[in-house]
Amino acid sequence: MTRVVGAELLKMRTTRTFWGLAGAAVVLVMLAVVLVLALTDDAFDETDVRSLLSSAGGAGLMMLILGVVFSAGEYRHGTIAWTLLVTPARLRVAAGQALACALAGAAISAVAAALTAVVALPWLGAKDAASLSGGEVLGIFGGGILYGALAGAFGAGLGALLRNQVVAVVLVLVVLFVLDPTLTALLDGYDKFSLGGLQTSLTGGSEEDFGGEDLLPFGVAALVWVGYTAVLVAAAALLTSRRDI
Amino acid sequence: MLEVDSLTKRFGATLAVDGLSFKTEPGRVLGFLGPNGAGKTTTLRTLLGLTIPTSGSATVEGKAYRELRDPIRVLGAVLEGPQFHPGRTGRNHLRVLASAAGLPTGRVDEVLRLVELDGAGRRRVKGYSLGMRQRLSLAGALLGDPRGLVLDEPANGLDPQGIRWLRDFLRARAAEGRTVLISSHVLAEVSQTVDEVLVVSRGRLVAQGTVDELTAGAGRAVWVRSPARDRLREALEAKDVTVDDGQGDWLTVNGATLEVVGDTAARNGIAVHELYQQSQSLEDVFLQLTEGTEAGR
Repeated sequence: MTRVVGAELLKMRTTRTFWGLAGAAVVLVMLAVVLVLALTDDAFDETDVRSLLSSAGGAGLMMLILGVVFSAGEYRHGTIAWTLLVTPARLRVAAGQALACALAGAAISAVAAALTAVVALPWLGAKDAASLSGGEVLGIFGGGILYGALAGAFGAGLGALLRNQVVAVVLVLVVLFVLDPTLTALLDGYDKFSLGGLQTSLTGGSEEDFGGEDLLPFGVAALVWVGYTAVLVAAAALLTSRRDI
Repeated sequence: MLEVDSLTKRFGATLAVDGLSFKTEPGRVLGFLGPNGAGKTTTLRTLLGLTIPTSGSATVEGKAYRELRDPIRVLGAVLEGPQFHPGRTGRNHLRVLASAAGLPTGRVDEVLRLVELDGAGRRRVKGYSLGMRQRLSLAGALLGDPRGLVLDEPANGLDPQGIRWLRDFLRARAAEGRTVLISSHVLAEVSQTVDEVLVVSRGRLVAQGTVDELTAGAGRAVWVRSPARDRLREALEAKDVTVDDGQGDWLTVNGATLEVVGDTAARNGIAVHELYQQSQSLEDVFLQLTEGTEAGR
């Protein structure tokens, strides 16, 4: 499995798409942080600080898209045939791609979190904002990094399952921005298991940010997300083993 | 090394491969011929585990390709119309394969030199010509120094020097005891490369043998020139063969070998001034066997 993950990481690093999406993720996070800090005159209470620092987890959305584009791209460019000629076991390939995207997601989210810390913490100090404990800050950034990893893996599983980059990216956006809010408004208890709800649990944002209530604790949210990803990866491997390439 | 047994593959209503069976032997180059839609690519992709058979089996050293522990060291493959990520360099494409197979990067540079692509290895594949893509594909197939090679139309896009290089390369591989299975529509190229030929049509095997065996069919006429043409005709007709008069002293004999014609003339004391058998190319045989069978795959 180490070889497969290493090869998938190399595959990622040797295309411009990866660097473009990674750069976009970090820039978007920094843009959000700087704009909020620059344009907000009110005092930052604890909730505001928590919301601001959890912006680093916003890189996760780009990691989700990165995972989708990466694994579905194998089918778009036909390189999946090469991959399967070297590693014919479909489950190993699907799991290897998910793990590679998780590692990439974690690394990029870590960069976003580090830059957020460098820019936001001194700025918040200068604004005389409410302060969080070191453990809380680390928890928020750690959650953001974990969310980046989990989002990358989820995207890779979805891309391998759907095999069409455009369909998979559109589906992700529809689920996050249309389906999740709609179902959250309509169904009691849905919010905590929705992608948005899980993201809020993982990145340490406030429940008000998401608009839901009664979110799952961090560890449970991580397990639920891993479960979703495992189902996607297993389904992708099963379908790929029954389909012609 | 490679064995296809009663292989059948159906795509919806289309029967692409119909009960096909054959085996390859180590140290031999086997040509796999057939018109478009005959089922060649489907058969080769099934051998490589990329297409799932409807029934029957295709195995490599007795196992399905998917069950091979280290397939890149067992069987190298060149797929028809090989696909690459256009933004990745040729060398990086090979580095990815080598990394997945646990091979050192030094091997990547070796195979790039072997296919004479070392000068272009650091260029993105989108700038490669068709011939360069074929060479890159061949480099990928050779990466694990495999015991066998499966090549689907490997000469596409190669220039005449490239085709000659490929021919010599494949012969050298076979001489080392490796198995080579090559599909191609360039029959002249195949006839100079292969030890044995399989001809498929509509998914079925219609002929198998060496090029000499296939081109030495009973359909070839023997031409003989004799100053005693009438006596020779009578002697041959007594052998139950068809004899037609040609121009001058020539006779055309159908249904007899050179040896039969020569021996008949000798036993009857008839002088023969010229004797030869009309040559039949692999292309003639191929067209006879597959006439009117081209179909969409």
